[in-house]
Amino acid sequence: MAHWMKNLKVQPNSTSLEEARKRTFEFFRLACRSIPSIMEIYNLQDVVSPSQLRSTVASQIRKNSHVTNPKVIDMLLFKGMEELKNFVDHAKQRHHIIGQYVVGRKGLVQDLGPKDEGISNFLKNFYNSKYS
Amino acid sequence: MGLGLLASRTLLRSGKIQPGNFTSLLRRCIVSTTELQNAEAAQAQAQPDTDLPKRSPVGGARVHFPNPEDAIEVFVDGYPVKIPKGMTVLQACEIAGVDIPRFCYHSRLSIAGNCRMCLVEVEKSPKPVASCAMPALPGMKIKTDTPIAKKAREGVMEFLLMNHPLDCPICDQGGECDLQDQSMAFGSDRGRFTETKRSVVDKNLGPLVKTVMTRCIQCTRCVRFATEIAGVQDLGMLGRGSGEEIGTYVERLMTSELSGNVIDICPVGALTSKPFAFKARNWELKGTETIDVTDAVGSNIRIDSRGPEVMRIVPRLNEDINEEWISDKTRFFYDGLKRQRLNDPMIRGPDGRFKAVSWRDALAVVAEVIHQVKPDEIVGVAGKLSDAESMMALKDFLNKMGSNNVWCEGNGPNPNADIRSGYIMNTSISGLEKADVFLLVGTQPRVEAAMVNARIRKTVRATQAKVGYVGPATDLNYDHEHLGTGPQILKEIAEGRHPFSSTLTNAKNPCIIVGAGVFERNDKDAIFSVVETIAGRAKVVRPDWNGLNVLLLNAAQAAALDLGLIPDSGKKIESSKFIYLMGADDVNLEKVPEDAFVVYQGHHGDRGVYRANVIFPASAFSEKEGTYVNTEGCVQTTVPAVPTVGDARDDWKIIRALSEVAGACLPYDSLSAIRSRMRTVAPNLLNIDERQPATFSYSLKPESHQETGTVPFGTVVENFYMTDSITRASKVMAQCRTLLLKI
Repeated sequence: MAHWMKNLKVQPNSTSLEEARKRTFEFFRLACRSIPSIMEIYNLQDVVSPSQLRSTVASQIRKNSHVTNPKVIDMLLFKGMEELKNFVDHAKQRHHIIGQYVVGRKGLVQDLGPKDEGISNFLKNFYNSKYS
Repeated sequence: MGLGLLASRTLLRSGKIQPGNFTSLLRRCIVSTTELQNAEAAQAQAQPDTDLPKRSPVGGARVHFPNPEDAIEVFVDGYPVKIPKGMTVLQACEIAGVDIPRFCYHSRLSIAGNCRMCLVEVEKSPKPVASCAMPALPGMKIKTDTPIAKKAREGVMEFLLMNHPLDCPICDQGGECDLQDQSMAFGSDRGRFTETKRSVVDKNLGPLVKTVMTRCIQCTRCVRFATEIAGVQDLGMLGRGSGEEIGTYVERLMTSELSGNVIDICPVGALTSKPFAFKARNWELKGTETIDVTDAVGSNIRIDSRGPEVMRIVPRLNEDINEEWISDKTRFFYDGLKRQRLNDPMIRGPDGRFKAVSWRDALAVVAEVIHQVKPDEIVGVAGKLSDAESMMALKDFLNKMGSNNVWCEGNGPNPNADIRSGYIMNTSISGLEKADVFLLVGTQPRVEAAMVNARIRKTVRATQAKVGYVGPATDLNYDHEHLGTGPQILKEIAEGRHPFSSTLTNAKNPCIIVGAGVFERNDKDAIFSVVETIAGRAKVVRPDWNGLNVLLLNAAQAAALDLGLIPDSGKKIESSKFIYLMGADDVNLEKVPEDAFVVYQGHHGDRGVYRANVIFPASAFSEKEGTYVNTEGCVQTTVPAVPTVGDARDDWKIIRALSEVAGACLPYDSLSAIRSRMRTVAPNLLNIDERQPATFSYSLKPESHQETGTVPFGTVVENFYMTDSITRASKVMAQCRTLLLKI
């Protein structure tokens, strides 16, 4: 899988939003294609499923959906590619991927279901951390 | 170039020594500044300055003139200062803003004058004088900065370092050592001593004080502290000359409850803390100025921490409360903060074992149960270490649930919270020094409040005040008259049939101290009314003097009574179905019914946990900001020094969260909001670091028609070293208990 990454270069800037959009989809497909090998490298079978990782990647991309400047999109894609390469090259460790993409930034408690509706900010902070 | 060096050159030139010996000879010559070598000549050159800059006293000290006409004027380095008669030269220099180096002198101990470090030059005196022992005389011209004084210090330093080991890198005092600092400031840059240093056998002073006696410089501060302040004749000087050493005569431990203070007063590393030995260096510690909660005195302490760990506790100066001493319990219980901690919310399963759960689940379980019981079957007990904020929240929460059965342990079945003078120390701790007769009723201040006892001892020593004591035989470390053991004696005194009653009536400032152990007695009201009769006869309460005191036992008691944590009746625990223990470990849990649901909220897995169904982990006093009221009514706050362990939360936050889950939400969600709620109940709790005296005296109290019983007063604190959940978890305190309380 890693063969295409060996000769990774900084591409010339996208000329239009259309081209940037195309590159974004290419990046997403590339990431999706590398998910099985990442699962194997980091032993993630019992922690997460490929579809969960795919949706994490998708949500990371959607997080920047408001960006319209092609240059900024190129920059973000470059950073994303860098991150992906780090994972594929085994430059990261297992806890990095688990911490950032499996558990996510919200911490271990993620069951913000309907039962938390209508509680005060105080109680939300109380459940979340001891420093509030 | 010094004279010594010049001399050796001349010798060399004259050919009297071989060049081969030259280097060794050079090394032996002490090189010092020319002024020091030729002190008299340099003195003649020094001209007194006419316009000196204004200096302020050392440490911002203020001078108190008992008689303004007794003021005398002395000149320190040419600068005139007015001082009261009887002050020493050293004190005069301090007021003039000159800090004199010293080892043996300590302002709270008697003057020994044996280290000679404080030598200064006085005009018209043939030799330099030891300023700590020399009374200042009118018109005295003191010179602290002259070559003679500097040379004298340099010489004394050299003598002291002669027998002091060079083990600063492995010495626990390193970095906060007076000898280290002063040898840097006043010492010579090399020594002339080549013989071997003396060594002294280390003494075993018990589990608290580590001794390295070779480091001792014989300042005798510890000997004077033990005999004068602590009141134990344990330490003394043995031998003479270079064989002189500090010791305990025969092999024995130091059994004072204030023994840890010798660590602070030791100017070198001879006496250091045993639990702290080799644990940390003082410059890597973060100091947090907070207060102690192990007794009702509220001693001012500094918690020294490194990262998340409390490394040691040292006293902080507060003239009104603990001066500069703290008791051994306060100083050494901190290792209990690391053991037996509760760090996760837990629910007891059907198999009787605790299972860690999330806060969400634990709160939900408790909220469900509290709605299934009748309001008057709900009981809340605040523990000894609770802060005012959490007690306020607990009371508000239980009141919202429809119950008023909330109290603080130690306050007894029917506490009197109406008249504040009935539960605080009205004389104030520093005010005890003005008293000339003490009557201790059912209290052993030495174990209940060691710092109050030190104050009484100070008074007895200074003014020969008489002490009468009613209670079980005990070991008070000052002269006292054991009047009896039971309340009958009080009646005799009240009716004037006892010889001590005339002592009380003839006293100028009589002082009665009733122990808080009396609160637990059934005839509590009767005893208080007898004591009030005695107070009336002896005019203990006057507009200018209030000598009727209650000595409390626990840090939480006074604040609980200020906030009105009083139960409807004392027998509620037997008929309860839901018990909320907020750090309460000394409740009689055998009385709790089998089917009652017990919630324990606290920081240590102590007695309360054994019966608990649900555990809420809370933060200890070193990890939270809380308001405490001490026995004299002084409001102080703790300051968080270290982070909370595990998933624990602050006490008042737990109750606030529980109230919301239970559907009876408390209307405050920040510390300032809960404090403004406290203001509406007890406004004095917001005046931090201020003693709020009681406004009304006991005379407003309705008369009690109870009869005093015949049961003698009991010992309230059986084990000085282990009184609450933190100290019971401490290993050092357990060692002290086995080694020092050998009764």
